[in-house]
Amino acid sequence: MIRRILVLAIAGTLVAGTAVYAHHSFGATYNSKEQIKVEGKLVQFVFRNPHSFVYIEAPDPAGVTQRWAIEWSGAAALGGQGVNRDTLRVGDYVIVTGRPSRSPGEYRVQMLTLKRPADGLTWGNRTGEVVD
Amino acid sequence: MDFVNRTRIAGLLLLLVVAMLVNVPTFSQEGVGRQDSPTDFSGEWIVRNNEDPGQPPLGDYTGIPFNDAGRQRAETTAESIWGTPEYQCRPHSAPHQWRGVGGARFIKEIDPLTRELTAYHVQFWRSLDRPIYLDGRPHPPAWAPHSWTGFSTGKWEGNTLVVTTTHLKDGYLKRSGPQTSDMYTMTEYITRHDSLLTIFMIVDDPIYLTEPFIQSTTYQLDPSSQIRLEPCTTSFDENGGSDPHAVPHYLPGKNTFLTEWLERDNWVPAVAARGGAETTYPEYRSRPNAPPIAPLSRTAVAADRKIADQSPNDGEVHVLPVQGNVYMLVADGSNATVSVGPDGVLLVDTGSARMTDKVQAAVKQLVATVMGPAPNNCMGLNCPRIPYGWSSPFMNTIIGSPAPAKPLRYIINTSASPDHTGGNEKIAASGFFPRGGGTGAVADVGQTASVIAHENVLNRMSAPTGKQAPAPAGAWPTDTYHRSFYKLSEYFNGEPIIVYHTPAAHTDGDSIVLFRHSEVISAGNIFSTVSYPAIDLEKGGSVQGIIDGLNQILDLAVAEYRSQGGTWIVPGHGRLSDTADVASYRNMVVMIRDRVQDMIKNGRTLEQVKAARPTMDFDGRYGSNTGPWTTDMFVEAVYRSLKEKK
Repeated sequence: MIRRILVLAIAGTLVAGTAVYAHHSFGATYNSKEQIKVEGKLVQFVFRNPHSFVYIEAPDPAGVTQRWAIEWSGAAALGGQGVNRDTLRVGDYVIVTGRPSRSPGEYRVQMLTLKRPADGLTWGNRTGEVVD
Repeated sequence: MDFVNRTRIAGLLLLLVVAMLVNVPTFSQEGVGRQDSPTDFSGEWIVRNNEDPGQPPLGDYTGIPFNDAGRQRAETTAESIWGTPEYQCRPHSAPHQWRGVGGARFIKEIDPLTRELTAYHVQFWRSLDRPIYLDGRPHPPAWAPHSWTGFSTGKWEGNTLVVTTTHLKDGYLKRSGPQTSDMYTMTEYITRHDSLLTIFMIVDDPIYLTEPFIQSTTYQLDPSSQIRLEPCTTSFDENGGSDPHAVPHYLPGKNTFLTEWLERDNWVPAVAARGGAETTYPEYRSRPNAPPIAPLSRTAVAADRKIADQSPNDGEVHVLPVQGNVYMLVADGSNATVSVGPDGVLLVDTGSARMTDKVQAAVKQLVATVMGPAPNNCMGLNCPRIPYGWSSPFMNTIIGSPAPAKPLRYIINTSASPDHTGGNEKIAASGFFPRGGGTGAVADVGQTASVIAHENVLNRMSAPTGKQAPAPAGAWPTDTYHRSFYKLSEYFNGEPIIVYHTPAAHTDGDSIVLFRHSEVISAGNIFSTVSYPAIDLEKGGSVQGIIDGLNQILDLAVAEYRSQGGTWIVPGHGRLSDTADVASYRNMVVMIRDRVQDMIKNGRTLEQVKAARPTMDFDGRYGSNTGPWTTDMFVEAVYRSLKEKK
């Protein structure tokens, strides 16, 4: 049992250690004091380093449909969490919570959680599932 | 054996022993065959930094000797600018690079003949190779391109390598806001102490700092690891939305996040957070509101001179090879672009009238150099490129004289401005474009080069019959187009050349010219690295047209790697540039447009807008109080083109 815990701890540490250093500063890009929810149809999934992006068509506060860019972890980190390039498909209906961009007029979000109601897939609630 | 012989033999044996004693150590003694050298930096190094990692919170400018322009530039910069296509794969700016993660690799470049150390190459995580030349070469002229790592030369002071770097692109001192201009120089003192390397860096930016910014970083030798790969692919959509050309920024005074960090670090006085030279001195902590005790130093870089040198008014024509067949002529304050090759010469813009003779002489010299006799690389019966199976091609290669160079075939005018069409008449007359051949040839057709331009250029330069034209008929375009683009009917010097109309920008007749194989764009007056864009409202120009034209260049151009190089852009005035430079310039125009637009929305008059100085943080770089295009004229043109737009 102890051995299993150790293996899990080491694996967890390795996964956490694969976070890729972004060219931009998350703290400066996103407003950590606010949280928003975006839900709609997934139109593109870019699985890559240094960070992946999920694109969702969803209405803005004025009701106008926009293409939202949801910044997710890099491919290496997501791979360690069981996410791969086929995990999400174009057309999936997803619900995302995240930090909004600080820049006015942008449809850019740092992902906190993701949920796909169709099969109950979730991300963001387990240890290590953070975008950094 | 008699005594004498024995003595001789003994003497010889003694000599042999002595000789052996002398010679043996030559092969075994350490250091023989080696020479003294400054301490070697080669190897893999990792950052061992005990100070600020270079990523302060938003609004923390403590220790940065900002002037007001630098502070405003930082406060209006939005971090999501990194989500725009032209920024996504940029590496760290040079001042921050030493504190970026990934460490550094030093490689020695040794002359194989003399064994002299001729250069160090420093490599970083984001795939940059930064040569530091130690062979005494000069720095490039001011009209040469800038890069992320700049151009570095070094000299030894004892065991310390002193590196001077110029030709750096605009970037940032630290992440999260504090920006640099592209006019800064960097001096580094690199010293090795056993397994530690100290880099002492001085950044002197005359546009945004009142005195140099100084920072030191420590590295440790780590032969057990190496720099890893950091891949990057760009996307149009990192910032979401539908506008691929959107430029994130804050209007002055509208960035509400700047003091957020002081809620946590409330021991820092708000006045200190705004930076300034005085905050860099230790005694500032005890008396933040008092005048500085120590005399402040000053920037050593003369910004005005450095900027003017990119487009010198020195009465000379300077030739800069760009790429492929294409060359840039820096002609006394304005640029021309030349294609030279087997089909002849194509000239984009002809400069001002006073420079015509020198432009012609420069082109003639360029043709002689490019199309002159090539070295004889052809020997023997199997000589390549010799037709007809001639049995002794080698002889003809030696004794043959080159075919005469083909003449000037085309001139393309990017606008009707006199500084770009001034040489049209004389230079066109020196060329030849075949029009009159075949059945029914007309003697006086085709005796000049073809002069191509948008039809509004002809409208601006000519006049209907019976009226006085602004320019002589010999200077007028001979071949005009009126649609969104015009393609030369055939390849010229081995490549397609396409002329794109950029409507209502500098004027209503502007064009940019793409050399599609050489990967060069001649931008004309919509892009300048020495001034704000000239907007001639009376001739149909507008600020939005300038922005659209710059975006068109960005859509056509492709960076070679890490958002630099690749497609080269020849500005109407100033240094040779790339997509990153055009993006920075576009961003500047967009930010100023939005500021003026916001003031118009709030009912400000032109005089109120001018008084508010919407260009303040860019004036040191692009502004002027004198000359043909002042800051005041630019602000007025922006205001009027926004206010009067339909």
